[in-house]
Amino acid sequence: MLRPVEMCRVVVAGSNKVIEPVIEKLHELNLLHVVNYSGADQSFEMGKPLGTASGYAEQLIKLRSIERYLDISDKMPDKQFPESQVLSQMDGILGSVGEDVIATAERIAEIDNEVKIKQDQAKALKPLAGLPVDLELLYGYKSLAAFVGTAASPVEADVSKVSYVNEVFTASSGGANSVAVFVPVDKASEVSAVLSEHGFSEISVPRGLTGSVAGAVSTLESDSKRLEGEKAPLQKKLKDIRAQHEDLILAIDEHLSIKSQKAESPLRFASTENAFVIDGWLPTDQYETLKRELDGAAGGRIQIEKLDGSEADKLVEAGEDIPTKMNNPGIVRPYELITRLFAIPEYKEFDPTLLIFIFFPLMFGLILGDVAYGVISLIVMFMLKRKFRTPGWQSLINIVIIASIWAIIFGLVFGEIFGPLGLWDYIFSGAHHTGLLGTVADPHHVGTDFGAGFYGPLGRIGPEIGGFAGAMFPMYRLATASVLVLIGVSIFIGVVHTGIGSILGVKTELAYGEKRHAYFERLPVLLFQVFFGLGLLGLIAGGLSHPLVLLSALVIVVSIVMMVKGPEGVMGATHIPFFVSNLISYLRLLAIGLASVGVAFAANQLAFYVLMPMLSGGSHEFTTIAIVVGIVVLIMVHFINLLLGILSPFMHPLRLHYVEMFTKFYSQHGGGVEYSPFGRVRRFLRD
Amino acid sequence: MVVETITDGGVLYGLLAVGAGLATGLAGIGAGVGEQGIGAAVVGVVAEEPGFLGKGLFLMLLPETLIIFGLAVSLILMFAWTPFA
Repeated sequence: MLRPVEMCRVVVAGSNKVIEPVIEKLHELNLLHVVNYSGADQSFEMGKPLGTASGYAEQLIKLRSIERYLDISDKMPDKQFPESQVLSQMDGILGSVGEDVIATAERIAEIDNEVKIKQDQAKALKPLAGLPVDLELLYGYKSLAAFVGTAASPVEADVSKVSYVNEVFTASSGGANSVAVFVPVDKASEVSAVLSEHGFSEISVPRGLTGSVAGAVSTLESDSKRLEGEKAPLQKKLKDIRAQHEDLILAIDEHLSIKSQKAESPLRFASTENAFVIDGWLPTDQYETLKRELDGAAGGRIQIEKLDGSEADKLVEAGEDIPTKMNNPGIVRPYELITRLFAIPEYKEFDPTLLIFIFFPLMFGLILGDVAYGVISLIVMFMLKRKFRTPGWQSLINIVIIASIWAIIFGLVFGEIFGPLGLWDYIFSGAHHTGLLGTVADPHHVGTDFGAGFYGPLGRIGPEIGGFAGAMFPMYRLATASVLVLIGVSIFIGVVHTGIGSILGVKTELAYGEKRHAYFERLPVLLFQVFFGLGLLGLIAGGLSHPLVLLSALVIVVSIVMMVKGPEGVMGATHIPFFVSNLISYLRLLAIGLASVGVAFAANQLAFYVLMPMLSGGSHEFTTIAIVVGIVVLIMVHFINLLLGILSPFMHPLRLHYVEMFTKFYSQHGGGVEYSPFGRVRRFLRD
Repeated sequence: MVVETITDGGVLYGLLAVGAGLATGLAGIGAGVGEQGIGAAVVGVVAEEPGFLGKGLFLMLLPETLIIFGLAVSLILMFAWTPFA
C-alpha cells in the first residue's frame, strides 16, 4: 500500500490495416499509459491521424461554443444516454438548436453593447442638460470653434476680453456649471487658454442626436430600458434550452471527445508505411488481459511484447517516466487528494497516502477535540456530500468526515461538548465546574500556587477513581497538568511522525542506489530526532544525570558526526536547528487546540457566569430574557469558533505532513507522472 | 516596600506573565510579517499555475513555526519554570 502499482513496459506493433480495431480495443480497455513517440528514431515517423479526425474536431468546436453560450460546464451526470440516442439527436443539437442558441446569444451581446453606448452617452450629456441649445447646434461649424463642457467659475467676461465676437451659453444643473462657448476659429487657442484657467473640462458631444439635451437624455434612458426589457425573454430562452438539453449536450461532448481522441491517437504512435508501433506502460498484472484482448481484436496480425527489467531501466535512464498509479484501499483513497496536492509520488518512491490516513485525522481530532463540534462538522459534511458530487469534493468531504470522527473521540477524552464548562458538566455531573471556577473566583490564590498554573496545583483532574486522584479523565485541556501531558503527547507524535518519514527516506535513497545519502544524510536525522525526544523525556524524569540523557547525548553527538561525514560535509550539520524546530513544530497540535478551547471556554464563562446572572439580577434562577440573550451569545461565539476550528485543524496537520514529514523522504527527485491510460471512463454515455 | 513586593512574588509573577505574552505576541507579529510576502507571491503563482497550490501552501506555512517557538517559551515561563519552588 505504501508502494505504487507495479508497472511493466510493453510494445505493441502491428499492420496499419488493423490500426483501427486496435485503437478501438485499447480505448475500451483503458489500460495502456501510452508513451508519446518522440520522433528520435530515423526509421519511424509520427503516425497520421485517422481521416475522420478533422470532422470530429470541427463538430466539437461548434458544440463547445454552444456550451459556452449556454454556460454549461462539466458536472456529475443526472441522466445517461445510450450511444444510439446521442447519434440521432446530435445533428439536431449541432444544427437548428445550436444556431438558435448562437443567434440568441449574439443578439444579447448586441443589446448589451447598445445599452452600454446609450448609457455612456446619457451619462456624458447629463451635465449639459440645462443648456438652451439644441444638440445638433453644438458641433459641425467651419468658421466657428465650439467649446462644450463644464467650468468651475463664470467664463463669459474673460472670454469677451480675448474674443470680442463670441456667444456663451451657460446653465447649472446638479452642482456642475455647464458652458457652451462659440468663438471665431482664429481665436480658438486663446479662448482655450482662458477657459482652462476657469477649470474648463470638455465634454465630447455624441453625434447623431438632435433636439434639446434634456430630451435626448430621456430618450437615451428610455431606449436602454426598452432594450433591457427585450433582453430578459432571450435570456430566459437560453436558460430553458440549457435546462432541457444540458445532460444531452454533455453526452454529445463526451461522444465527440472519445471519437476525436481515438482519431487523433496515431499522432502519439510511431509508424512506417505499413506498420505502427505503440509504446506504453501498464500494471504488470493486467498484461495478460491486454495481450489476449488485443490479439483477439486484431485477428493475430499484431505483435505484443513485454520488455524485461534491464531494457525498461535503459529507457528510464534515457528520460522516460514510469507512470505512478497509487494503490490504496477505498477508505484511504480520499487522502490521495492531500498527496496529490503536494506532488504525485515517483514510481520508485513511497506513496505516503496511508501514513496521511493514519496521522492526519488523529492530528485533526487532537486539535479540534470536541464532541459537539465533531458531530456538527459530521452532519454538515454529510449534507454537503449530496450537493458536491465531483470526485475532488467527495474526497475532501470524506477526509473531513473521517477526521471528525476522531474529533468526537478526542472530545470524549477531553470532556468537551461545546468547550469546557459546556454541556459536558450538565450531562455527566454538576460538580466539576465549581472546582474549576473556585480558582477563577479566587485569583489571589494564583500567586502563591505559582508554577502550578492557573487552575491549582494539579490542574483539573477528573473524578477520583478508587482513591486514585490522578485519574486524568476527563482531562480538561486548559488545566496545567493536561497542558504538560499534551506537550509530551505532541512531541511524541512528532518523534514518531518524523521518525517514520526518516525511515522511509533511508529506504527511498537505497532504492535510488544512493547509499551515502541514505546512511549519512537520512539516518543521522532519524537518530538525532528520536534521541532528542528521548533525551527530553529523561531530562523531565530525572534531570541531567539520568542515564537516558547521557545515552541520548552520546547518540546525538554520533549523529552530528555522521552528518558532517555526509555528502554535504560540514554544511550537513547546519540543518540541525531545522531538525529541532521540526519537533517543536508539533507543539501546534496542543497550541491550536488550546486556542479554540480558550474561545469556547470564554463563551461559556461569559454566558453562564457573567451575562445570565447579571441579567437575572445576580440570582441563579435565570430569567427568560437572560436565557435568550445567553443562548444567542453562545450560538454566535461557538459558530465563529467552529468555523475557525475546522479550518486550522485542517491546515496545520497538512503543514506537519508537508514540511515536517515529507521533507524527510518525499518528492526529493521532483515528483512523478500520474498513470493516465489511453481511454476514457464514460459518464454520460451508457451501452 | 519594593523588596516586600518582590518577596511576595506577585510582581515577579506578573512580569513573567507579561514576558510570556510578549513571547507569543511578538513571535506572532514576526510570523505574520514573514507570511505576508510569501502569501502574496503564492497567490500570484497559483493564479498562473493552479498545480502549485500544494507547494505554495508548504512555503506559506513555513514561518508559522516561529509562533510555535514563541508559544514554547511562553509555556516554559508559565508552567515549567518554578523560581519559588
